[in-house]
Amino acid sequence: MTGMISNGFSHWLTAAPDAHKQLFELELPTTKAEAWRYTSLKSLLEQNFTPAEDAANAIQSDDLNKILIPDLMSHRVVLINGRYVPELSALGDLPTGAQIGSLRAALASHSEMVRSQFNQYAFNSLFTALNTAGLNDGVAVLLNRAVVLKNPIELIHISIGANQPQVAQPRHLIVLGDGARATLIERYLSLDAAIYCTNAVIEIALGRDAVFRHERLQMESENAFHLTGLSLKQNANSHYLGVNIGLGARWSRTELVTNFAGEHAECDLQGLYLAGDGQLMDYHLDVTHAVPNCTSRENFRGILCGKGRAVFDGRVLVAKNAQKSDAAMSNNNLMLSEGAEVDTKPQLEINADDVKCSHGTTVGQIEPEKLFYLRSRGISAPLARRMLCLGFAGEIIHMLHEEVLRDYVAEHVGQRLEFSATGLS
Amino acid sequence: MLVVNGLRANVGEKEILKGLNFTVAAGEIHAIMGPNGSGKSTLAHVLSGREGYTVTAGTATFNGQNLLTLEPEQRAQLGLFLAFQYPVELPGVNNTYFLKAALNSIRKSRGEAELDAVSFLRLIKEKLKILHLDDSLLKRAVNAGFSGGEKKRNEIFQMALLEPKLAILDETDSGLDIDALRVVADGVNALRSSERSMIVVTHYQRLLDYIQPDYVHVLAKGQIIRSGGKELALELEEKGYGWIDAEGQAA
Repeated sequence: MTGMISNGFSHWLTAAPDAHKQLFELELPTTKAEAWRYTSLKSLLEQNFTPAEDAANAIQSDDLNKILIPDLMSHRVVLINGRYVPELSALGDLPTGAQIGSLRAALASHSEMVRSQFNQYAFNSLFTALNTAGLNDGVAVLLNRAVVLKNPIELIHISIGANQPQVAQPRHLIVLGDGARATLIERYLSLDAAIYCTNAVIEIALGRDAVFRHERLQMESENAFHLTGLSLKQNANSHYLGVNIGLGARWSRTELVTNFAGEHAECDLQGLYLAGDGQLMDYHLDVTHAVPNCTSRENFRGILCGKGRAVFDGRVLVAKNAQKSDAAMSNNNLMLSEGAEVDTKPQLEINADDVKCSHGTTVGQIEPEKLFYLRSRGISAPLARRMLCLGFAGEIIHMLHEEVLRDYVAEHVGQRLEFSATGLS
Repeated sequence: MLVVNGLRANVGEKEILKGLNFTVAAGEIHAIMGPNGSGKSTLAHVLSGREGYTVTAGTATFNGQNLLTLEPEQRAQLGLFLAFQYPVELPGVNNTYFLKAALNSIRKSRGEAELDAVSFLRLIKEKLKILHLDDSLLKRAVNAGFSGGEKKRNEIFQMALLEPKLAILDETDSGLDIDALRVVADGVNALRSSERSMIVVTHYQRLLDYIQPDYVHVLAKGQIIRSGGKELALELEEKGYGWIDAEGQAA
C-alpha cells in the first residue's frame, strides 16, 4: 500500500503534507466497518503496487484511433497512467470563460481559483488521502458564470501496465459557475492485461442554476482494480445527472457523496453494472439533504452472471430542517446464474416530517413468460436472453446523451453477455 | 398440415387435456370454443411449446414433423405462430429490433439470407398498413405501455410480418371493443390464404361473425365434445354452454 504514495513531486501542494500525515492516522478499513462489510480489501492488499510510471509515449495516435468512439464530437483530454498527455488531447475551440486542462498545471499556475477549490470537497477516506498524497495529475474543468459547452468533454484515462503492478491516481476538479452548463464523459480503460490499480478522486462544485451531465464508463481490463471517490457539492437550483456504467475491472469500488448547499437543487444518479466471473462491483451512494426543497434520484441496475458479485449501498440522509425533500432510490438486479451474489442495502434516514422519500430493491431472474414470448417468434433462447438483458440495461443506457455513446455501451454490454452466455442455463 | 391425435396433457398432477383428436388442413380455419377452464388455452400453449405442461399421451404432427419434441423457436421457424391472449410487455426491447431479430431468425433457419435494414423497413411499413398501425410503434418497446387493443393489433402485425403456415389465435377478441375487434379481424382476414391455416380459440361467438371458420370444435373438460360447421357456433351462442354440457353428458 505504501507504494501508492509517490514521493516528493507535489511539495508545492499544501494539501499533500496534510494527506501524508492523515495516512498515518487513517486505518485500513476491514469488513467490520459497515461501509466495507461486503467488500474485502484482501485481493488489493496482496498486490505490491508501485506508483505508475510515466508512459506518455506508449501510445501513438494510431492506437488512440482504436480507442476513440467514432463520430463522438468532444473536447478530448487523454491521460495515461494518471498524467495529462497534451499530444493526444484535442481540446478544440473553447468558449471564453472555459478552461480545461491539466490540474497540475492549473495548480502550479497562480490560479487562486484552483488553489482555493482544490481538495475542498473531497470526502475523507484513506483512498482520498492516498490520492492527494500521491497525486499524479488529472483534469481541471473551470467554467465561468453562464458559460455553456455544447460538445461534451471527453476524458480518456488509459492505463499502461508494467511488469510490476502499478497504481495511477488521477484527480479531477470540476467547477461550474452560476448558470454554466457542461457534459463530461469519463472513460477508464487499458490496452494490456497487466495488473494495475486506478485510484481516482473527483471533486465537483456546481454554482447556482448550473447544469452538469456526468457520464462515466468504467471499462478497465479484467485484471484491474478500480476506485473512484466522487464528491459533489450543489448550489441552489443546480442539476446534476450522473450515469455510471461499470463493466470492467476484477475489483471495483465507487463512492459518490452528494451535498446540497442550496435549495431546489436536483441530483440524479443512474447506474448500470455488469459483474461476471471473478468480478466485484461495489457502489456506495451517500446523498445528504441538508437544506429544504431538493430532489434526489438513485436508480441502479445490475446484471450478474457466473460467480459475479455486486454491492449496492445507497444512503439518503434528510436533515431535520430539510422539509419538502424528495428522494427516491431503487436498485434492481438481474441474476443470470446460481453462483452470482448481490448485497443490496438501501437506507433512508429521515429527520424531517414533510418529505417524499421512497426506496425499492429487487433481485430477480429472467421471467419465463418473456423468454417464451421471444422464442415463440423464432428467436433462439440464447439470443432471447441477451435481448432481455439488454432491455433491462437499456433503461440506464438510454440515459446517455449521445446516440453514438449509447450504441457503444450497448454493444459492449451485448458482447459481455455473449461471452457470459456459456454460463447461462 | 396439423394432426392432433389422442393428445393428453397435465399441469402438475392435474390432467387438463383428455385425449384430443382433430386435423387442420391447409387453408382451413378451425374455431375452438369452450367455457372457461375447458382447456382451450392449454391446447394453444402445448402446441406452441410453452413450459409448464406435460404431454402424457398422444401426438401432434405439423407437416409430418413431431411438434412436441421441438423447442418453441423451432416450431416458430417451421411456421407456427401463437397470437397471445395476454401479449407480454418487454420494456427496453425495441420493437423494430425485436421484429428484425424474429424475422431474420426464421429466415436463417430456412437457409434464406437475412434482410438488410432497408428491405426490412420497406417490408415492415407495408405490413403496418394492414393493421392501420402508426410508424411510431416501431420506436417503442415491445408492448410496453400499449393499450389492450394496441397489443392485440401488434400480435396480428407480427403475424403479418412472419407469414406463418399455421396461426393459433388465443382469445384474440378478449378485451377488445367492437371497433378494435373489427380492425383485428380485418387484419386476420387479409392474411387468409389457401396455404395458411388458423386455429381461432375463443369463448364467444362474436369473433366468428368477423372471422368465419370452416369448422367449429367445442371443447369441454379437456375433450372435444362436438364438431361441426360454423352454424354450430351460432347454435352455441343461442343455447349457451349449458346446452352442450347437458348434451355431452347425455350422449
